[in-house]
Amino acid sequence: MSGSQVADASSVANVASATDASQGADASAEAGPAASPFTMVTGDPSAMICTDDVCFIPGADWSA
Amino acid sequence: MTKPIKIDVWSDVACPWCYIGKRHLEAGIAALGDDAPEVEIEYHSFELSPDTPLDFEGSTVEYLSRVKGMPVTQVEQMLQHVTGVAANAGLDYHFELVAHTKTLKAHELLHFAKEHGKQLELKERLLKAYFVEGGRVNRIDQLVGFAEEVGLDGSAAREALESGRYAADVQADIAQARAYGIQGVPFFVLDGKYGISGAQPAEVFSQAITQVAGEREGSAA
Repeated sequence: MSGSQVADASSVANVASATDASQGADASAEAGPAASPFTMVTGDPSAMICTDDVCFIPGADWSA
Repeated sequence: MTKPIKIDVWSDVACPWCYIGKRHLEAGIAALGDDAPEVEIEYHSFELSPDTPLDFEGSTVEYLSRVKGMPVTQVEQMLQHVTGVAANAGLDYHFELVAHTKTLKAHELLHFAKEHGKQLELKERLLKAYFVEGGRVNRIDQLVGFAEEVGLDGSAAREALESGRYAADVQADIAQARAYGIQGVPFFVLDGKYGISGAQPAEVFSQAITQVAGEREGSAA
């Protein structure tokens, strides 16, 4: 269950150094939007987001 | 005196994972205890489903299966999963009560509340109304009631909603999200630099906040 998983410390440490907004998203940020100007904290890759009326795990084929 | 760490959150009132993510963020901050750096949280508008009818009469299962064409069993499984995770976060979701509606008016009220220093209180009240109580968060009369409950002036809230004074601010938030490439919510931005997507566990927020605070100390040294 995504919400109760404890994040691996190393995944949080995946926060890279700050990026300039013009550099776009961190390449390690699979869960983040492609054009994000932010350095993405990877965290728990199974964390859910909602788009339209569907909530899902980014990158996964299972909706919930 | 150090400036608080700013946490900008894009979120919709009708987003089950946004309420859960809000709880996880709060838990992550609380877990830092006395060492917690000062944070300033601001919520921004995001409309998940602009084509939602203003007053859908029916259950969440009916809405998602009939309007969105999702299989009933899939919807039921989805809602059961969300309800379970919400319960783990201390939230008592009642999807059988949820009244699907557009949330733009609720977002307008959140901007009004921000201007009057009550945005966090109102955000919590609206999410609870939507997911726990079956509130109609598009109806001005109900919204005014929620505003008054958190200490806002009801007459001023009504005037703001009826005039649509904050509609442009709502659209500006939505446009900003689009410009940032935010495609789903909740989406958190720490200190204007770090993005956190989804209802991440509390520990993720704790560690990210700690990291930002540490970087600030490092750069100030």
